[in-house]
Amino acid sequence: MKYVCIALLLFSFELSAQDDLLDLLEEEPQIEYAFATFKGTRIINLQSNELPAEGVMQFMIMHRFGALNDDFVYNFFGLEQAQTRFSLDYSFKDWLNVGVGRSSFSKTYDGFAKVRLLRQSKGAKKVPFGIVYYTTVNYSTLRWNDDLPHNESERLSYTHEVILARKFSKNLSLQLVPSFVHFNLVEDRETPNDIFVLGIGGRYKVSNRVAITAEYGLQLNDNFYYNSEGNKTSYNNALSIGVDIETGGHVFQLHATNSRGLADPQWMARTPGSWGTGDVFLGFNISRVFTLKKPKLPEE
Amino acid sequence: MKKIVLSALMSVSFLGLIAQKQITREAYLKFYSSTPVEDIEGTTNKASSVLDLATGEFVCQVLMKSFHFEKALMQEHFNENYVESEKYPKAVFKGKILDYGKAIDLSVDQTINKKIKGTLLIHGVEKEIEVDCSATVKKGKITQESVFYVSPADFNIEIPGAVVDKISDKIEVTFKAGYSPL
Repeated sequence: MKYVCIALLLFSFELSAQDDLLDLLEEEPQIEYAFATFKGTRIINLQSNELPAEGVMQFMIMHRFGALNDDFVYNFFGLEQAQTRFSLDYSFKDWLNVGVGRSSFSKTYDGFAKVRLLRQSKGAKKVPFGIVYYTTVNYSTLRWNDDLPHNESERLSYTHEVILARKFSKNLSLQLVPSFVHFNLVEDRETPNDIFVLGIGGRYKVSNRVAITAEYGLQLNDNFYYNSEGNKTSYNNALSIGVDIETGGHVFQLHATNSRGLADPQWMARTPGSWGTGDVFLGFNISRVFTLKKPKLPEE
Repeated sequence: MKKIVLSALMSVSFLGLIAQKQITREAYLKFYSSTPVEDIEGTTNKASSVLDLATGEFVCQVLMKSFHFEKALMQEHFNENYVESEKYPKAVFKGKILDYGKAIDLSVDQTINKKIKGTLLIHGVEKEIEVDCSATVKKGKITQESVFYVSPADFNIEIPGAVVDKISDKIEVTFKAGYSPL
């Protein structure tokens, strides 16, 4: 009996000796989702795995100046030959974003949808990378300048992209984007309508608010046309490098790229120029977000 | 006799001691930064806290990622750029009610206003603080409330020039917790 008493006493001491109250708050591991893999919804031209949050509308201006090799000073450093794309999108859900855009190149309207399928996470649920699906329909309104009969459907082109993204660390994020581009109308009989592209992109944060970005669109099948002299000419892969600068509700992205087109089929599969010959365009993207639907905040 | 001693001991060691520790995992925490340009507010009701009625010791911890904001981008910037949640996931306060004296009796409805002194850990930086708090006992339940101010600079949270007008250097923190026996 005595022993029972002693044991109980010891036990009670032990309870009170548990002096670090924080130990009582130990919790089971939770699911920790990766966030802010990229700063913008585009790395440069390539879509990133980011979607604006539910209830957020985003307005984006993409701008490319004239080429460095095109009478650069005469054209006031290319400022007088700008290509632009405006877009407006809205996230109905955290996983669903839809929007419309207009590019000056080829006077193209586009509609797009972005759907998050899988989120990268650690902790209670480990998922090594995230998956986002992105698709666009593009409608060129350029006037026909030949006297041939045309169908409206010839104006359409499409992209489908599967974005596989991983945030390796606070600073380093990389993604692979297997993509499919389809043009209803192409330049020559032999020019392929379907082009498979592997988008490769990444960012490295050099400070909390500044990141270096780069991306490459590797065309996987032979994509060519015949130039005015009848020579077979391949379209180039688009290579872009840039800097992301974040200030409050804006993200500024400054970059240099050999792709002048801004709509997805254009930059992925219609890049005639190359870095080697100075067909390089300086440009920027600016995005601004507006919270249209406020989220419900935790209550007491 | 032995039985009586035993049961007395049991009631002391189990009921007594256990009931002295009060816990919650749904404490409310809000921080509020007010400037003429912008008001920013982050709230959570997922903070956890223990109050030891025997000693007046008090702890509270919260996952930085559990704070919600009106604007999603604020939340992202808060975690990514300011408190760096991936590197420093938790904020922790560990302290003691000053001049605690006798244990608070949960059978008497009352309000007690005291000071709590302890260390607050945010962004990997510890700082000693002393704040006012009030504990209220009602129908055998204890709740605790406190409002105090912290400065981002004290915790090495850097505010860049571009947003210096938008974030106050004096941030109001509100804490409210209703406890249950552990």
